[in-house]
Amino acid sequence: MSGQVKELKVSPSSNGDSRGSWEEKDEFDQDHLGLTTKPKLPKPENAVTIAVSSRVLFRTEREQEVYLQKGVEEYLRYQIEHENEPFAPGPAFPFVKALEAVNTRLRELYPQSEELFDIVLVTYNHAHVGIRLINTINHHNLFIERFCMTGGSSPIGYLKAWHTNLYLSADADKVREALAEGIAAATMFMTENLTEVSESQLRVAFDGDAVLFSDESERIFKAHGLDKFFEHERDNEDTLLDHGPLKGFLEALGKLQKKFYAKGHRLDCPIRTFLVTARSAASSGIRALKTLRAWGLEIDEALFLAGAPKGPMLEKIRPHIYFDDQMFHVEGAAEMGTVAAHVPYGIAQKHNLKQNSNVGK
Amino acid sequence: MVSTIQNTDVKQKDADRAVVVAVTSRAVFESGADGDDVYGMGVAFPLLQALQRVNERLLEENPAESLLFDVVLITTDSQQQQQSSRIISSTRHYGLEVSRFCFSSEEDFVESLQKNNVQLFLSTDRNEVPQASQKGVLSALLDRQEAPSEQLRVMFCGDAVNRPDAGPMPASRQAAQSFSAQLGEMRQRFGMSDSPLSIVLMTSHGGRESCGGALRTLRSRGVNVDEAYCLAGAPLSPILSVVRPHFLLSDGFSGLED
Repeated sequence: MSGQVKELKVSPSSNGDSRGSWEEKDEFDQDHLGLTTKPKLPKPENAVTIAVSSRVLFRTEREQEVYLQKGVEEYLRYQIEHENEPFAPGPAFPFVKALEAVNTRLRELYPQSEELFDIVLVTYNHAHVGIRLINTINHHNLFIERFCMTGGSSPIGYLKAWHTNLYLSADADKVREALAEGIAAATMFMTENLTEVSESQLRVAFDGDAVLFSDESERIFKAHGLDKFFEHERDNEDTLLDHGPLKGFLEALGKLQKKFYAKGHRLDCPIRTFLVTARSAASSGIRALKTLRAWGLEIDEALFLAGAPKGPMLEKIRPHIYFDDQMFHVEGAAEMGTVAAHVPYGIAQKHNLKQNSNVGK
Repeated sequence: MVSTIQNTDVKQKDADRAVVVAVTSRAVFESGADGDDVYGMGVAFPLLQALQRVNERLLEENPAESLLFDVVLITTDSQQQQQSSRIISSTRHYGLEVSRFCFSSEEDFVESLQKNNVQLFLSTDRNEVPQASQKGVLSALLDRQEAPSEQLRVMFCGDAVNRPDAGPMPASRQAAQSFSAQLGEMRQRFGMSDSPLSIVLMTSHGGRESCGGALRTLRSRGVNVDEAYCLAGAPLSPILSVVRPHFLLSDGFSGLED
């Protein structure tokens, strides 16, 4: 398949030799394997690992329908029948492409470094769908060499094993589970009419409260209203906000950005980050900025909307992904063509449940 | 000297169809204090229970099923040989579905495996496994597991390490092919969910093409894989500790990805 002649010999000690139990496979000569023509993959703990599910990387609505209507056996039969038809790109696709563009630039500047994005497909699909997924990855020329197809069991354990920095899935329950385990995660939805995004610069936008920061201020706002919120923020201006579920991911992005700055690429850095918050610049926003500064995190652009709708601003920014804890904003962003991901964290979720959003899986 | 004793408590399997799995008694039982009538449960105990459960479910689906696991307990340890009655009584005590007991020495245990038409040999001993392997018996090493699953989980390693100094192993590969085909057939007796058996593929070094190739090869043998993990060089043990296979088969599986 790779055009290389491989030696089809098995060492007598390939199984259970004195050196180790199941782990002696760690030693190998890479030249004998299919990886010489492609860049070497980083160790998971050195890389910024992004785990994506098949339903957000690709569009699988038709297949989901088959699953829901006719059950798992028919669903798998359908998948195998259509094995040579690649899936269309899903909501996470542009984001993943942008990650690969950043990797290309990083490899140019730091050829030996393992500080790269590593994209792992983590799906609870059965391996019967594996060949179709691999065909699709090939078709779209994605650089994804690692995956976990768990055949129905929870992917959460694997997220930890891969040192996952960010998990994107269509399944809100799995996302909640991941968040509970301290892994940054968000639910993605398919949107039509997406605005075109950059192919050379990764642009990531974050909401502030309950995403980068904890939901403590949001609690005050929900319990006591806007005035109390302002008062609280003013009184606590010099107290740092607690961290939220996506702080770590912003941190990881910042680390990579610094690598570009170090080689004189501040102006044309292929990673750009945005804070898009309902806080206002003059008052409540100050606490957010002070917190970010104290954390040593630079955010490229901070947009304080003072309660104005986020959709139009996001349409101008054109991020590959926008993280928000409130479905109201996620839907608003999607309406205006931005790929928005829901972070089901904090006090806003009680409100979300009441709204009973039926956004497609 | 090789001797075989049938377990009269257990119905003997169809010699033509059954999948003969030999497990060392040292792996199944742990010596307790002398004077105990019965051994403690060893590393392979959960595995035996999982094999048994597969048989039970197979018979539920079809009471006349002949494609079943036929478990043989093989004792290679001369110390344990002296305790042969204790091995047999322990087996009965736990109600283990072992059809035969084989007693041999370290020198001729492989002969015993061959005589008993063993298709898979499982041991905790790092020397026994390659010895059996070299003589063409598909073998795997058993390791202690934390929280072993009730479901029998068999892992195939799709890109076993190819080392230049290795000699060819045609017999082992043949054994691997026929075992995997039988496992595949067994797996098909059950539906997608709630199966007592899960077939897992892992490729540790190659990328997605490696894994894709292995999936196709296994499918062509009638083996539909349930779970697939493509590591592409990532460390194994974190993933293995989540997958929790009862054992790994890499012997004879190199070249699956072609």
